[in-house]
Amino acid sequence: MSAICIENVSKSYGGKVKAVRDVTFSVEEGEVFGLVGPDGAGKSTLFNILTTLLLPDSGNIKMLGMDVIDDYKAVRQIIGYLPGTFSLYPDLSVQENLDFFAVMYKSSIAENMSIIEPIWKQISPFKDRKAGKLSGGMKQKLALCCALIHCPKVLFLDEPTTGVDPVSRKEFWDILKSIRKHGITVVVSTPYMDEATRCDRIAMIQEGKIIGINTPATFIENFKGKLYTFKSEDIFSLLNAMESCPLDCNYYPYGEHCHIAFYDDIATALPQFEKFLSDNNLQHDEIRAIAPSVEDCFIEIVQRDFSH
Amino acid sequence: MKELRMILKKEFIHIIRDKITLALVLAMPIALVLLFGFTISTDIRNAKISVLDQAKDSQSKLLVDKITASGYFQVVAYPENEVEIDNDFKNKGIKLAIIIPPHFEDKLSKEHTANLQVINDVSDLNVASILNNYVRAVVQGYTEEYNQDSQAGFDITTKMLYNPESSSVYMFVPGIITLIMVLVTALMSSITLAREKETGTMRMLLITPVKKIHIIIGKVIPYMAISFIGTIAILIISVTVFKMPINGSLLMLLILCIIFMLTSASFGLLISSISQTQVDAMMITMMGLFLPTVLLSGFLFPLNSMPMVFQVLANVFPAKWFILAIKDVMIKGSGIFDIWMYLLILLVMAVVFIIFSLTRLDKRN
Repeated sequence: MSAICIENVSKSYGGKVKAVRDVTFSVEEGEVFGLVGPDGAGKSTLFNILTTLLLPDSGNIKMLGMDVIDDYKAVRQIIGYLPGTFSLYPDLSVQENLDFFAVMYKSSIAENMSIIEPIWKQISPFKDRKAGKLSGGMKQKLALCCALIHCPKVLFLDEPTTGVDPVSRKEFWDILKSIRKHGITVVVSTPYMDEATRCDRIAMIQEGKIIGINTPATFIENFKGKLYTFKSEDIFSLLNAMESCPLDCNYYPYGEHCHIAFYDDIATALPQFEKFLSDNNLQHDEIRAIAPSVEDCFIEIVQRDFSH
Repeated sequence: MKELRMILKKEFIHIIRDKITLALVLAMPIALVLLFGFTISTDIRNAKISVLDQAKDSQSKLLVDKITASGYFQVVAYPENEVEIDNDFKNKGIKLAIIIPPHFEDKLSKEHTANLQVINDVSDLNVASILNNYVRAVVQGYTEEYNQDSQAGFDITTKMLYNPESSSVYMFVPGIITLIMVLVTALMSSITLAREKETGTMRMLLITPVKKIHIIIGKVIPYMAISFIGTIAILIISVTVFKMPINGSLLMLLILCIIFMLTSASFGLLISSISQTQVDAMMITMMGLFLPTVLLSGFLFPLNSMPMVFQVLANVFPAKWFILAIKDVMIKGSGIFDIWMYLLILLVMAVVFIIFSLTRLDKRN
């Protein structure tokens, strides 16, 4: 059964900026669903609509059989929300924040200790510290505790790991996996493509449109090109030179490496590309074949399918 | 109820932990009332004057004695002619000169009239007109006495109701109380909701099942409590330092203050509900509430002499009604039956403001 059914949802700000365009997808009960896209793609707007804080211009949303637009009060009872920016009271201590939201949700900490325990264990040593004085990772863990304090059926996490160090990010995802055991459906957005692989399914969003929904493994299987990587000292000249590259390929910087996906027969394309590089006096190390990541998939879809 | 108690507790924690704001809110009323009380005073003492006595007879001496004994004036020079008066204005800083005509006593006894000439320095209009009134009062007192002695003519007895000493404290203290209550209550409460919006905590609150009215009441009560402390402090200073009377019942006065704080806090919330940031809220409170309170409450400028538009506009701001009511209670000693209409107006305003804030609180578009 679907936990959330979203049909043809659109939202624009001031009639001009179309933040969300005709979005349709559904989230299955109990899955960890990722919403992946760059900053400004419309993730937060979609989250605000799903969490009943914003009305869409058009479209329908059903959450566990309830209408999100008309029956928003009932929906608020069953959702937990972790906003993209730190939204707890910085002058209240960790314990006071948790107590406050427990009472606001007509719940109690003791009642739902089983759910929040793995997180609470990590932050309880700091329970008398002011929330504003916590580190980024700790803040998010506290916010997650507050969002889970009433045992929601659907949990929305808007970029929970943005601004969080890599170790805390990994811990945070481990926690999300443990939350699944309680049958909570998790919808999480992230601009980090590497995190997307930890979701059961992901929806890629670009300029307010959903450009693909699948499991991370299927996205990678469906990667059309042949992907190679190499390092170059002079990325800027390389970028310029690629303008005149005659091959059907997709080239982009990827961290400190360069990724290139070939869409021609690789047996002829690779030697042609190496010749192109030496013709243009471009230094490079060995060009190696690699398996595509979710980010490569996203770039391929944006460049080859979505833009045409 | 558990939710409301929790919200109240949270708000008090915010207030208590924000030491600077707390100190400001508690110290500001006291500082302001002292500042305003001592600076905005229209009572003038020992104004420098000079007297050109062209008569130099017993009656003119008596008049000059009266003028100096009043305490309002200090005669710094006795010029011999009008040119010297001119120099006194320029060099001795006198504010006013009185010229007593020659044969003053003779004129009074034979013609029953004499012309006193008063020359004013009107570079400060307020000071000039106040001093002029003082001279009139002194001369009137003198005339009355003279007429009694000579058993001639008429006499006017003026009875000063409610403010026998014509003290400006009676005018200003109620105004200052109003200003400070508006400043503390409305400004604080206007910032609080806006802060929750700015930091995103409002969204967290909104998606909880807590009732909106609890959020609003939870915001109003703490700021009323804080400004109640300030109000008590102002009242004590007004009575002890400025000798402001409380002729009505103290209970009535406190009830009136509490109702006005409720109205001010609700107005603050109303502003908060239409602002997105704390800076917005502060600007709107200063321009949209504080300024009209100063100008349109009848505290500094009499409403009757304003254009009709402003007289009508003044009715929208709670301060006008509160000043009318507090003056009645403190000075005239009015009770509930005299001021119930003002109280009702303030209460209705509070309810309207709160209802409007409620509708704005959970706007989903």
